[in-house]
Amino acid sequence: MKEAALMKAARAILAPDAEEIDPPYILPADLPLELSGESIRARLCTFTDARGAEWAMRPDLTLPVAEIETQRRLSGAQDDRAYSYAARAFRLPASSSDPMEFTQVGREHFSSADGEDDDMILFGRVIEAARMCGVAPRSVMIGDLAIVPAFIDALDLPELTAARLKRAFRQEGGVRALLEAPVRALTPQARAILDADDPLAKLSAALEQQSTARIGSRSPDEILEGLAARRAEDEAGGIPQSVHGVLKALGELDCDARAAADLLDDLCQQHRLEGPRRAIGAFAERFESLENIEPEAGDVSRFRADFGRRFTYYDGFLFEVLAQGLTDRQPVAAGGRYDGLIAALSNGKVSAYALGGVVRPDRLLRAKAAS
Amino acid sequence: MTKPVLALPSKGRLKEQAEAWLGARGFHLEQSGGARGYSAALKGHPEIDVKLLSAREIAEGLISGALHAGITGEDLLYDLAPDAAGDFETLARLGFGGADVVVAVPAAWIDVDTMADLERAGATFRKRHHRRLRVATKYLHLTRQFFGAKSVGEYRLVESAGATEAAPATGSADVIVDITSTGATLVANGLKVLSDGVILKSEAVLARSRRALWTPEQTGALGTLFQSA
Repeated sequence: MKEAALMKAARAILAPDAEEIDPPYILPADLPLELSGESIRARLCTFTDARGAEWAMRPDLTLPVAEIETQRRLSGAQDDRAYSYAARAFRLPASSSDPMEFTQVGREHFSSADGEDDDMILFGRVIEAARMCGVAPRSVMIGDLAIVPAFIDALDLPELTAARLKRAFRQEGGVRALLEAPVRALTPQARAILDADDPLAKLSAALEQQSTARIGSRSPDEILEGLAARRAEDEAGGIPQSVHGVLKALGELDCDARAAADLLDDLCQQHRLEGPRRAIGAFAERFESLENIEPEAGDVSRFRADFGRRFTYYDGFLFEVLAQGLTDRQPVAAGGRYDGLIAALSNGKVSAYALGGVVRPDRLLRAKAAS
Repeated sequence: MTKPVLALPSKGRLKEQAEAWLGARGFHLEQSGGARGYSAALKGHPEIDVKLLSAREIAEGLISGALHAGITGEDLLYDLAPDAAGDFETLARLGFGGADVVVAVPAAWIDVDTMADLERAGATFRKRHHRRLRVATKYLHLTRQFFGAKSVGEYRLVESAGATEAAPATGSADVIVDITSTGATLVANGLKVLSDGVILKSEAVLARSRRALWTPEQTGALGTLFQSA
């Protein structure tokens, strides 16, 4: 089978009942960079036009398709919609054996209600698409990006600290960078500003005295807010050792996916946490229906609590399918839930439950050749 | 046989100090076309091809393999190399051209003293302004690496061509990553360095390219210089 034949086979599984779409190839670079931050630039194909505006070749289809869906919802549509595509995407390769330009065959699904089964139906389709192309998974990596945040929420931390940990979890240095970060006590001057009757006036006076009136695009309000946040975290006494223990255990959790829910429950029990049980239960149910739909994939599934934390849009259940002849960084198929993306693209004006899955015909071809 | 290429800084303090360092080890630079010429040789070493280039060109050449060896700044080597360990080897740190690559914010941000504080400020900023804080720098790679390792993601990079320290004042960015030896320029521009914001303590180095093709003759030709380093 050539790549074109593999594409056709994958489309037969992923395209039914979906609107076929080929969105713009070129996006304003602000779209991915404001959304996901500079860390993704390392993989982004960008260029600058004569006026200095920066553009990016679409790094996947999820982003431009979600952008189209966002515009549709902003203009009032509320009905569910599925899109399918067999289209080129562009990424600076992480491995020299990967091409910069490649095809993704995939499907994105947006709905107003949370259809928990949708994940598994899509997962089933993706595995089936790979199978129709003659590739059986050597391993399936599974994660759920709702689980670590659920633990963080259950740790009884000040809201601001919990929010920082959740953000750090999605960055390269992870929560560890934050746990190890130096903490500086507020200066007496800063305390005096916070304690003043009119903190804003006191701050302005202090800035003028130091002739450091220049504060860039942050407002004095924001500086006060930052001072108050630091004091609140100081007074809460920093991040307790027990929290370090839970986060370390989560970071190290890497197991047969069948054992994952039990191990996560044990961790709850050990640290007397009830909060994460719901997220763990939801994961357990999803994995169970996955095993029902694709028992062979279930046999080779592994779970990591931090799996996918660097995949910028995903925020729930997600998976990657690995195959013979390719490294763990070269999945032949992948997919997952990104319920927050439409809200992020519309600044919170509209939202939708969302999930997507893709196969890579070029890698399926390599996997077939290797098996 | 093709001679190995040794690249040296073509102007300024860095050139004078590199020349003095070589001279102290018995390698004397002879410049053709006067002090402004760009071709040169090491007296008594016709087997070495000497090129006078800017520090940036030297770093780029060592990383691409167009040059065999050279004297340049660590800041440039580490920022421009996609894979520092695989691209070049530092043979000696030369004890001059010292400066720090640092993260600096407006001194008026009295709520921001550490990278973690900057992360917090960035998150609040994004919520309020629906865009990310801007960081001006010419060190795109070093900045991304350092911010990533510190789990600071709430920022955007703005490439700066020069006078980075003025970016917050002109409004083109809010934060800078720049090189400084005394910090005086930063203070004069109303900026302060974050307490854990030193990205790299840089100095001039003699480095060897790992990407250049090295024949045994070329290795031999530079052997004496490398041994005396």
